[in-house]
Amino acid sequence: MKKVLTKEEVLHVADLARIEVSDSEVEKYQEELGKLLSDVEQINMVENYDDERLIAPWTEETKLREDSEGTMLNPKEVIENAPRRAGNYIAVPVVISENESEGA
Amino acid sequence: MTNYLEKSVKEINELLKNKKIKPIDLVNEAFERIENNSELNAYITLNKEEAVKKAIELEDKEVDNILFGLPIAVKDNIVTKGLRTTAASHILENFTPIYDATVVEKINKNNMIIIGKTNMDEFAMGSSSRTSYFGAPRNPWNKTKISGGSSGGSAVTIAANDVLFALGTDTGGSIRQPASYCGIVGMKPTYGRVSRYGMIAFASSLDQIGPMTKNVYNNALLLNVIAGHDDKDLTSSRKEVEDYTSLIGQDIKGKKIAIPNYFVSDIVSKEIKEKLENVIELLKEKGAIVDYVDMKYLENAVTLYQIIAMGEASSNLARFDGIRYGTSYEDPNGIYDLYVKTRSNGFGKEVKRRIMVGSYLLSGENAKIYYNKALAIRDDISKEFKKVFEKYDYIIGPTTTTTAYDLTDPMDDPSKSFMDDVLSIPVNMAGLPGLNLPIGTSEDNMPIGMQIIGDKFTEASIYQLAAFLEKEIDFCGGVKYE
Repeated sequence: MKKVLTKEEVLHVADLARIEVSDSEVEKYQEELGKLLSDVEQINMVENYDDERLIAPWTEETKLREDSEGTMLNPKEVIENAPRRAGNYIAVPVVISENESEGA
Repeated sequence: MTNYLEKSVKEINELLKNKKIKPIDLVNEAFERIENNSELNAYITLNKEEAVKKAIELEDKEVDNILFGLPIAVKDNIVTKGLRTTAASHILENFTPIYDATVVEKINKNNMIIIGKTNMDEFAMGSSSRTSYFGAPRNPWNKTKISGGSSGGSAVTIAANDVLFALGTDTGGSIRQPASYCGIVGMKPTYGRVSRYGMIAFASSLDQIGPMTKNVYNNALLLNVIAGHDDKDLTSSRKEVEDYTSLIGQDIKGKKIAIPNYFVSDIVSKEIKEKLENVIELLKEKGAIVDYVDMKYLENAVTLYQIIAMGEASSNLARFDGIRYGTSYEDPNGIYDLYVKTRSNGFGKEVKRRIMVGSYLLSGENAKIYYNKALAIRDDISKEFKKVFEKYDYIIGPTTTTTAYDLTDPMDDPSKSFMDDVLSIPVNMAGLPGLNLPIGTSEDNMPIGMQIIGDKFTEASIYQLAAFLEKEIDFCGGVKYE
């Protein structure tokens, strides 16, 4: 079964993935994503399965670790790894613009 | 150049103990070898200064274990404190971790010496290491061929005799497949046997770190070091760590071995099947019982893998946002723009494609249609394996369907890299241990490998069969295991 994505669908998944797709790339992605999604459509050919199961790759009982003192990452080093810093803080660009904050 | 690194680990250990050589001799030799083989492009970052420093520090220490002072290469998606770790991606091109992965702590504790970080597919997404931002490694058997992937650099540096030990990671075959293409031994341990803390996650329910070496004995020695429970990885098992060398040297008479018919179907090349048949004859001759079995769902494994791996990857790679670490877009117009521009510039084509497909597969109702269904069928695959292991000790088959192909082969089919792993993926789906053992070469002199699969936590028994065959099969003039 060949799956075809519309241009809008490609732009939607690109947005979900926070990846930019230029006008010139849309067609290429329509084809490539369509190919991969056609592959995964084959899952609908599989019969005799029960999809109400809850499964995890891990079957051992999980235990909480002991509540004890341990070493943690050095906050200074953590901050220093950030591309933008302001003193002891990690800096980010404007999250809500002035217009948005006024409810525009 | 000295040739200590061509000796067995036991011989080297004796030389160190008797002060005939020092760790620095091994480090210098390793770097000389890597330098001579630089066109193989096996490394992204060399750790020369620190390795030399550590080797000199070790001169005052007692040789307290068999791996003491031995150089080791680490795949570049395993974080190393103070040593650049890129996952072969532009987005982490200048990233220096501030902590060590648990496996790195363990190899440091055993006084092994990290020699450098090996080349790989970007974020381990690929099967030829050609998606690396730093260019593809080359196969030492034929430099115009791919190394396989994603742990291509680790496989190459072992095959080229640069070092005796390397770490790789395996999500769908990324240890076993390059091991097969480069003619070395690579083990993907049981899911949960080795801590994943500090491995840059690709598909968390499938990822596993494992040893890559020239021979079976060395492989078991390295697993001895890296295996074990870790509070920092809740999926790591509390099951006790065995001595994985303990069964090496024992006979395999009476062992029951199953070969799934799918593993010897038309998808596998004729010469690989022939080499496997030779092994089967040998096993029978030595008293093993070999049967062909039918297993359901194996042919669906690649589809399940595509859904699970791309879905989990899209979630795992959401952390690369240009804010906390890694490269970041210089002049963003607001935060959304920062995310989008950083990621679009930072990720390569293959990674972007997989994240987008993964986002689609997990979005809204699709999660139920695809991901949940894939998990359910994945459970069925596990049950199929379980059934076989009620009657058999091992499952064997080829590791790959072909030998290593040309570096210049087209990369335009997005399904190709998944199909390269068609025989290794089922093992990850079921969380089982699997090992590649070289069993011969093709007409064009490229290595052929077989896969030995065991039930969960039977690594010691896998090494037993692998070491037995290693001794019997004349690969590369034969390898000694001790």
